[in-house]
Amino acid sequence: MLIGGQGGDGTLTVSDLLGRYFRLKGLYVYTSRNVLSRIRGGHADASIRAAREPIAAMKSQVDLIVAFDSEAVDVGRPELAPDGTILYDSSVFRSDLPNAIGFPFATLAGGQLGAPIYKNTAAYGAISVMLGFDPALTRQVIESRFRRRSPEALEKNLKALEIGRKAAIDAGMEARGNVVDGEARDQVLTTGNQMVALGFVVGGGRFFAGYPITPATEIMEYLMRYLPPFHGVVRQAEDELAAINMVIGAAYAGARAMTSTSGPGLSLMTEGIGHAGTAELPIVVADCARVGPSTGEPTRHEQSDLSHLANLGHGEYPRFVLAPGTADDCFYLTIDALNLADKWRVPVLLLLDQALSQNTVTMSPVDLAQVRLDRGKLLSTEEFAKLEAYKYYQFAPDGISPHVPPGTPGAFAQVTGNEHDEWGHVSVNPVNRVKMMHKRMDKMVQARGDLPPPRLYGADQGRVGLIGFGSTWGPIREAQAQLDRRGIPTKFYQARTLYPVPTDTLRPFLDSVDVAYIIEHNFTGQFARLIREALPDHHAKLRSLVKFDGHSFRSPEIVARVTEG
Amino acid sequence: MVQSVKPIPSTWCPGCGDFGVLAAVKKAAAEVGVPAHEQVLVGGIGCSGGIHNFIEINGIHALHGRLLAQAIGVKLANPRLTVIAAGGDGDGYAIGMGHFMHAFKKNASILYVVMNNETYGLTKGQASPTSQIGFEGNIEHPFDAILTALSIPVPNFIARTFSGDPKGMTQVLAEAIRFNRANRGFAFVEDLSPCVTYNDTFKLWREKIVDVSKLPGYDASDRKAVFRLCLETMESGRIPVGVMHRPKAADPEAVALELKLLPDQEGPAVTDIALEHNRAAYDRLIKGVT
Repeated sequence: MLIGGQGGDGTLTVSDLLGRYFRLKGLYVYTSRNVLSRIRGGHADASIRAAREPIAAMKSQVDLIVAFDSEAVDVGRPELAPDGTILYDSSVFRSDLPNAIGFPFATLAGGQLGAPIYKNTAAYGAISVMLGFDPALTRQVIESRFRRRSPEALEKNLKALEIGRKAAIDAGMEARGNVVDGEARDQVLTTGNQMVALGFVVGGGRFFAGYPITPATEIMEYLMRYLPPFHGVVRQAEDELAAINMVIGAAYAGARAMTSTSGPGLSLMTEGIGHAGTAELPIVVADCARVGPSTGEPTRHEQSDLSHLANLGHGEYPRFVLAPGTADDCFYLTIDALNLADKWRVPVLLLLDQALSQNTVTMSPVDLAQVRLDRGKLLSTEEFAKLEAYKYYQFAPDGISPHVPPGTPGAFAQVTGNEHDEWGHVSVNPVNRVKMMHKRMDKMVQARGDLPPPRLYGADQGRVGLIGFGSTWGPIREAQAQLDRRGIPTKFYQARTLYPVPTDTLRPFLDSVDVAYIIEHNFTGQFARLIREALPDHHAKLRSLVKFDGHSFRSPEIVARVTEG
Repeated sequence: MVQSVKPIPSTWCPGCGDFGVLAAVKKAAAEVGVPAHEQVLVGGIGCSGGIHNFIEINGIHALHGRLLAQAIGVKLANPRLTVIAAGGDGDGYAIGMGHFMHAFKKNASILYVVMNNETYGLTKGQASPTSQIGFEGNIEHPFDAILTALSIPVPNFIARTFSGDPKGMTQVLAEAIRFNRANRGFAFVEDLSPCVTYNDTFKLWREKIVDVSKLPGYDASDRKAVFRLCLETMESGRIPVGVMHRPKAADPEAVALELKLLPDQEGPAVTDIALEHNRAAYDRLIKGVT
């Protein structure tokens, strides 16, 4: 379903109410928003999908359009199913389309309740009649949503619900469809950003500094709620330069520290991330990618930061780029990122995309039994006391120097972004330079076995490979099912480590297929280019499928590309 | 005893004003009685930014202009540490200006010492934000950090010292460190620290400095009065030095950032993150996601 109107119309409210109803019915839910970068006004719409199976993508067809402005019809119509319906507010505009049904929601709500804003709940009421909702459950949804707001809000919304229901019943619209029951009773509704924030806390993250930026801001907002009871600190900095450097200072002091940002902020943070790379300070940066470059399209979806992350900054330093594909993956990979940064003393970059960051999705609650913390070579005071010498950059076969936080009696640590010797003193000695470069850069090879493995899906006998990362997980999984039905079994490699390119798992995967489609949201096929560079022998098998219009893939686009060959 | 990082010989030119700052920082910390391992010295980029290499101390050699952000990060991660940031005028007032202004409003209890020599020494003598008109072809007006600091109505400790007066400087730095250790907020000290190679102003500054505390009407808790004294001194072609602002002890506004965030001073770096010790709280957090 697509619900559209002017910003401030409350289209998200309708989507939220429907989502609550579907969840009470035991269904899996996925929602997305299509908003402009402004607070009020302008067209905005929300999409919601419910299913009996887990979902992480929108369908290619819309069954119902709820239009509070005529633009919602324009936006939704190209995707409207042949038997789809348009429900619109006839107090705002008129539609002569054969499948359009108009009710004057704003006038009805304004006339009887004194404020047209209740049109949202009235529309929900009409939908509940059309789709044969259970009246008691329908009411329960309103109560759960508005009970905590105020008694007046609850009362008016309950009245609005009846206004909408009556209008639909009077028009003879009852039970044009029905909503089946599902089994998804244990699910929670969340977003990738919320799961990054939760993973950060559970992973021992205690210091966060950031700067507001779409679509990353919710991570900071959740942490402002989550962290204070744990002696955690969240600061909104004056800019991204300050944010990343506060994180670096906190990491030096011994805290697990993170920032989150999007493209423009990432550009500013690049300086600091390189500093952490050479100073060997463990930081995590979550990049919630949006359309770039420059300000790009702040609210729209893209995966075009990957090349930047892989090559981030001037000079050379180790970094790991991880990419969760689903909301639960955001939780677990954030913890992995904290562990990897701490253990290997490198910056770890967590790449999300707008759809993964902000779209809401049902998932099973996270499981603490799966969580492990690894603090690497952090020494206890007793272990430290047994050392002969404490060198912050001591050479070691694995490149990792033992360390204690500043404040430990007898321990002095000097860190610098200049090239340095084992003591942390600035050095331009060429022999030292070569050894230090190996100390840092070899971590990219040494850490291989530690980096998050891919998730593989599909038939062993499939000779068609699909490779993707981030939120393409949803449409790719659905495309697999559709291709299966057409007799084309496929294998899906969901990459969770993007850089260093996971050749150890990609090579056997590519060996096992005749052709592999690398599916990503950017113009140049950034992941495809990285794979081609790392595995040139497999060049002939690789096909790129890219999309960069600001919107997520729909599964038929993937099916079409694969069947075209 | 574990052998830990030792100071290295300084890289500064003989006679550099920064030696005075180095000596004064060491003496002041000793006088206040701060254990060396509890100090973190955050240096900027430029000649002055290497200062931490020349003391036995925890040190960060930060990015150019970003030392305040890193120092505040250290302080908020572990408020029990005594954090001193030290850099030059180019580092603080040019590339680091955004962070400089925000440090006053953030009001974390760290000390920031700017070694102002009115030039970029390390890159061989270009004009800096504090250079006088005419210096190396400079046609822009010099920036005055003390007037700027006084114009921000936050109860910070603000002072200007002169490297040619090491005793006076030590006294001011000791007061600033005490101010920090009492969690009273941000302390800013600009030290006039001549570059003997590219802008040797020792003699000139010695003649021009005026101790504002000796002037009639001086009251370190009266921002307006000191601002006027500074302006009048500058208008007469002299340079005001001394403690420019010392908030009254009773100032209810004088709550440092780290105390607002962490009243018991147990910070993110030292708190227990072990899963088994936090499990119950995490379970509640997870249940909150519906």
